[in-house]
Amino acid sequence: MNLKSYLDLFELLETDTSSREERRAFGLVNVVTKSRPVEQLSAWARENKTKLKKPALSETFSSTLYTATLILVIIVFVLGFLSGVGLLSYNGHEPVNVIYFIAMVVFLPLFTITLTLFSMFRANSTQSMLVHISPAFWMEKILRLLPNKIEDNLKEVKINPLLANWIVIKRSQIIALAFSFGLLFALLSVVATKDIAFAWSTTLSIGPESFHHFLHTLAFPWRDLYPSALPSVELIEQSQYFRLGDKLSDEMIQNASKLGEWWKFLAFATLFYAIILRFTIYLVSEFGLKKAIQRSFLMLDGAKRLLNDMNEPIISTHANENEQQFIQRSIAYDQMLNTLDASYDSVQGWAVPEENLSVIADSMKVISPKFFEVGGGNTLDEDMEIIHHSGGEVLLYVKSWEPPTMDFIDYLEALAKRVDKVVVCPIGTLEDKYETEAKEVNVWARKLSMLGSEKVWLRS
Amino acid sequence: MTEAHPKFAVVGHPNKGKSSIVSALAMDDSVQISDTPGTTIKKRSFPLKVDGEILYELFDTPGFQRARRVLAWLEQHDVSADKKHEVVQLFINEHKDDPKFNDELELLEPIMNGAGIIYVVDGSKPYGEEYEAEMEILRWTGQPSMALINHIDESDYSEEWKRALGHYFKMVRTFDPMNTSIEQHLSILESMAQLKEEWTASVKASIQLFETYHEQMLERSSAVIAKVIYKSVSLVEKLNFHGEDATEDEKNRVEEKYKERLRELERSTQKSIEAIWNHDHLQKEQQSLPLDGMDLFSEETASVFGFSRKELLITAAASGAATGAGVDLLFAGGTFLLGAGIGAVIGGAGAFFAFNELSEIKVLGQTLGKRYLEMGPMENRNFPYILLGRAIYHTTQVANRSHAVRSVAELAMDSTFKDKWLDDDLRKSLEKYHKKFRLGKEIEPEELAGYEALIREVLKYLINV
Repeated sequence: MNLKSYLDLFELLETDTSSREERRAFGLVNVVTKSRPVEQLSAWARENKTKLKKPALSETFSSTLYTATLILVIIVFVLGFLSGVGLLSYNGHEPVNVIYFIAMVVFLPLFTITLTLFSMFRANSTQSMLVHISPAFWMEKILRLLPNKIEDNLKEVKINPLLANWIVIKRSQIIALAFSFGLLFALLSVVATKDIAFAWSTTLSIGPESFHHFLHTLAFPWRDLYPSALPSVELIEQSQYFRLGDKLSDEMIQNASKLGEWWKFLAFATLFYAIILRFTIYLVSEFGLKKAIQRSFLMLDGAKRLLNDMNEPIISTHANENEQQFIQRSIAYDQMLNTLDASYDSVQGWAVPEENLSVIADSMKVISPKFFEVGGGNTLDEDMEIIHHSGGEVLLYVKSWEPPTMDFIDYLEALAKRVDKVVVCPIGTLEDKYETEAKEVNVWARKLSMLGSEKVWLRS
Repeated sequence: MTEAHPKFAVVGHPNKGKSSIVSALAMDDSVQISDTPGTTIKKRSFPLKVDGEILYELFDTPGFQRARRVLAWLEQHDVSADKKHEVVQLFINEHKDDPKFNDELELLEPIMNGAGIIYVVDGSKPYGEEYEAEMEILRWTGQPSMALINHIDESDYSEEWKRALGHYFKMVRTFDPMNTSIEQHLSILESMAQLKEEWTASVKASIQLFETYHEQMLERSSAVIAKVIYKSVSLVEKLNFHGEDATEDEKNRVEEKYKERLRELERSTQKSIEAIWNHDHLQKEQQSLPLDGMDLFSEETASVFGFSRKELLITAAASGAATGAGVDLLFAGGTFLLGAGIGAVIGGAGAFFAFNELSEIKVLGQTLGKRYLEMGPMENRNFPYILLGRAIYHTTQVANRSHAVRSVAELAMDSTFKDKWLDDDLRKSLEKYHKKFRLGKEIEPEELAGYEALIREVLKYLINV
């Protein structure tokens, strides 16, 4: 799991068009990783990596970051080398004051390492101010100088700020290491190519014993392994330099060959404080970055949704196929009646009991010699018998709320063949005083229009 | 060949709400429902699937058209009760190419393939003898059956229906698909589970699954809402400009872009919520997120959508005091609660002055040469409550809406809605998160999960209460 896999997942989540079913299928196949979401996301990203357009954003970003880091590393190494050469420059008159070099290889690293540790503590919670003063932070500015196309690609990258903090911290350690290597290289080169007289000088009233004690403390990591890399009290005494007098002391001149022994101490100090300690911090930052990447995986836009899709069962209740569209024709039925005649040859009721028919007819001031219940509980033969005895004009009551079935249409067709006129009269319920609703009458009108019979009329 | 999972065919007279019932039980708002009879032409299957495995299957069917004719045909065959289903099958076989019986074949086929019968009637209209032919045919099939009394209108004829249906069905239940809740839904499933012993386990598993599904929907909804609040409050809109200073037009443009983005976030969230609750076809009418002219931030409108200035002041002061109290605690009370006092004043003052503003438009990048206008994150203290209130209201309306309803949803939130879910404790808890959102920084997933949990509790309380 690295920055590349984070960016791959970021790009995949941005562009992914996989269905919920595909995601769930992946979740079921990789069910062992269900309790380890980061691992599951990582596995999904690996599986789908081939879907990314070439070059992948992660490749562009990594190569850009690599280039920028490399440029900075080279520059900083050169700077470190030049600084080292500058600090060790010996004009043959005045000895080289080791305190400057110690400050550069011991105190500066200790100070910056302390700052780094602070930024590490704060990196997880906020955008740390300390991160902003890091040289690696300014790499972003360098990226802006790159060709526009690359810059445009990188604009798409939205790195989690917490992760960005760790990237800056880690890159800063690499740069600091390069600087330290520059210093060490300068020290070794100058020592190898020049005869340098090292000395120490300070305005503070520090005696050789105290200074030795201080150096002894600084050299704790290597003093037992390489005793020669810790200057002795004698050497310290011999190499103390006072500017007043404008010339080297006799003691110094007599021990000129010994003064060069300081380089071992300086080399070990550089190696331990500026390189080994820094490398340790680099490893810590590497670990922090890994952890930050893991946390950032879960913070990516769409990651939670993806995890839900992979781990939650797909429950579906809907139909498999789309429904055939029902097209409602708006047909105006032109055989409508507003009023009923005063009498009919027979009154029939479709599923309306015979005993109710006379009451209904009365309420509508209709008289008739014959009343029949049709449909409903009748058998088909009984209905045919009624049709057989029908003639002239028939008033056919129907329940307005019951939609006309094909059973009714069959009966009506047969009846219409036998009689001169059929008036279909929808009626409401007794509670509604047989009043109907317009939409119910429309349903009947639509159905009757299908019949196309000139003998069939509808009471509106 | 019959399959192992239980099947249920919803059958009945035309236009008695079969499709409404299927739509409600299958939670599918795509089913065509109309008061025109014959809308359902073909039988349609609605399987309840978990990861592709069917737990049960519902069938929506066309209504009976020539029931008397079918029954007459069946009754021509004088057979014992154990052979009656064979006669029905014979009818299907003999009439499969007869368009006259198309609807009957469509509804009988799933039954003869092993589906239990759910016979639907309209209890708001009187019982009629013409239903008896249909019920008799269903009895001939020999399949387990139950009747559902639907109420399309206000009138109630359930008693006479129950007396009649009791002769034909071992179970008669009332179900209103237009006003159903998850409890009613599950209760109907419980009844379906009792139709046949072999189906009980599968249907009971489906009941548990529906409960899980409901939880899933609540969880997904709260996640979507939490995200939109966070995204909207922390939203930053930028606009590059050339020249010394931004023109009024450029300032207006960035403000419009900012507002449009907020509205778009709300719109897309509503779409997601509707998809979560299977209401993809929902048509709605509602006031869009009103950011223009700041009218929403007036006392009057704030009392409907968010907090009034006074309420906001109390919330912000309490939140500020809590932060200050932390400082007091650090000094073991040595500050004589000065921290809490100062916190309360700062919080209250912030809320007082940030009541009528969305966010300041800042000109940035002057030193780097590339100048741009920036608007956001949201400074208005009321805004998160307004957006949250609207999102919760929309979600409860969608979640509580039956899938059988096809009318346009009128989403008009009134001032009492806020009182249903928001109390002082919740206000303080929410304010803690809103404060962080306003900083515009990345929020840890754990923190957002805490905010989601608060929303989930509110939704759980409001949905189907």
